[in-house]
Amino acid sequence: MKRYYRYFALAGAAVLMLAPTSQADAKTESYVQENASDVLASLNDPSLDSEERTEKFNTYMDEFTDMTAVSNFAIGKYARRFSEDELARYRKVFREYALAVYENELDAYRGEAVIVKDSVDRSATDSIVNTVIKRQDGKDMDVRWRVLTRDGKYQVVDVALNLDGNLIWLAIEQRAQFLALLDRSNGSAEALIDKIESMKRKLETEKRS
Amino acid sequence: MTQRLFAAVLAMGLGACASTQNLESGTVPDPYEGFNRQMFAFNSGVDKYALGPAADLYETVTPEYGRDRLSDFLHNLKSPVIFVNDVLQGESDRASETFARFFLNSTLGIAGLWDVAEYTGIEKHNEDFGQTLAVWGVDSGPFLILPLMGPTTPRDLFGSGVDRALDPLVWTEFDNNPDLDDHIEMSRGILGGLNARVALDDALEQLNAQPEPYIALRRLYSSQRQAEIRNGRIDEEDAYEDLPDFDEFEE
Repeated sequence: MKRYYRYFALAGAAVLMLAPTSQADAKTESYVQENASDVLASLNDPSLDSEERTEKFNTYMDEFTDMTAVSNFAIGKYARRFSEDELARYRKVFREYALAVYENELDAYRGEAVIVKDSVDRSATDSIVNTVIKRQDGKDMDVRWRVLTRDGKYQVVDVALNLDGNLIWLAIEQRAQFLALLDRSNGSAEALIDKIESMKRKLETEKRS
Repeated sequence: MTQRLFAAVLAMGLGACASTQNLESGTVPDPYEGFNRQMFAFNSGVDKYALGPAADLYETVTPEYGRDRLSDFLHNLKSPVIFVNDVLQGESDRASETFARFFLNSTLGIAGLWDVAEYTGIEKHNEDFGQTLAVWGVDSGPFLILPLMGPTTPRDLFGSGVDRALDPLVWTEFDNNPDLDDHIEMSRGILGGLNARVALDDALEQLNAQPEPYIALRRLYSSQRQAEIRNGRIDEEDAYEDLPDFDEFEE
């Protein structure tokens, strides 16, 4: 019998220790739930034409994601090597490109609803929220959102797609390629900006009308 | 886009089947990057000037329905090899599924032309001896891109040789026509390659549109192989351990 009391005492202690984390999770989860749903809704709104849809989507995404952090992350050490002007031009074109990628990517899923499954705290300010995007064709997508908390504000910095057990983090994949391109062009900001510009133009031609 | 890019990794194998010192987490070593990039460029040229146009022609003369039947037929032919690898990996449930699929598709599916097992809820999966070696703890070795074969590693290359040796069709002899087995084997290779190339046309376009297609191919081949070795299961405990710090380059 003593063993059971000890078990309950330990379980109780564990619950108390986990309580703050669980609370943080709940907030992060609801942040993703609300914002990701808004983003999907903007893509599914039949009253919007292509231009309006993109504008609304971009407004939500600017709120939802920390594009400056993502753009810096994507060029790693080169964020400190670019001049002010290069960094500003890079960030501008990166933002436009990233938004186009996310719009095309999320739009391709024809997602109807975002359902939060659970979340994992990597640290007090770094969480992963696991979601399922319900699709019209029944092929639900496992999507994971990395959320950082800064000064009490939540922002998404990366998104992972689970493709048959292969978690593809979009920003990490982008970073690997950007760094390789910069390494091979002696760190030329122009080469990277030109490349992103051309990819952005291509994405715009593929966008749903 | 990512799904299509993901498929491109398989496409660059062109019918075959993908971390220096682990500079990037989750990728295979690539000490022969210079050679690999040359082979990547060579394969891209072959694809652009030979395989791609041949696949376009094949697509024009073959209806999608016919290509689907061929795809189901070829996958069914691989079942004995998949079954042996399921067993060697100690995956009894998956071995049973492969056996049931082979039985159903070879009979009700008329020699595998229709994947009727899929309708009964038995989903298809792939296994190969490269995966079996990985399950047994054999290291992948360096990343390689071989002419016409595409991305691989010494482990996967050796594995594909063993898979070939395990394939009953390789050992089949026809009494009345001793060359028939070779003709079947060659037809399977050519039609399978064209079929796969048509299916992944869009994916290859996406791969080539990446800022660094070679890097994209290496990373996706590597992570895809890891996922296959785990049979698509994600170890949720460790899934986020290697994620890089986002604030490292913040101003």
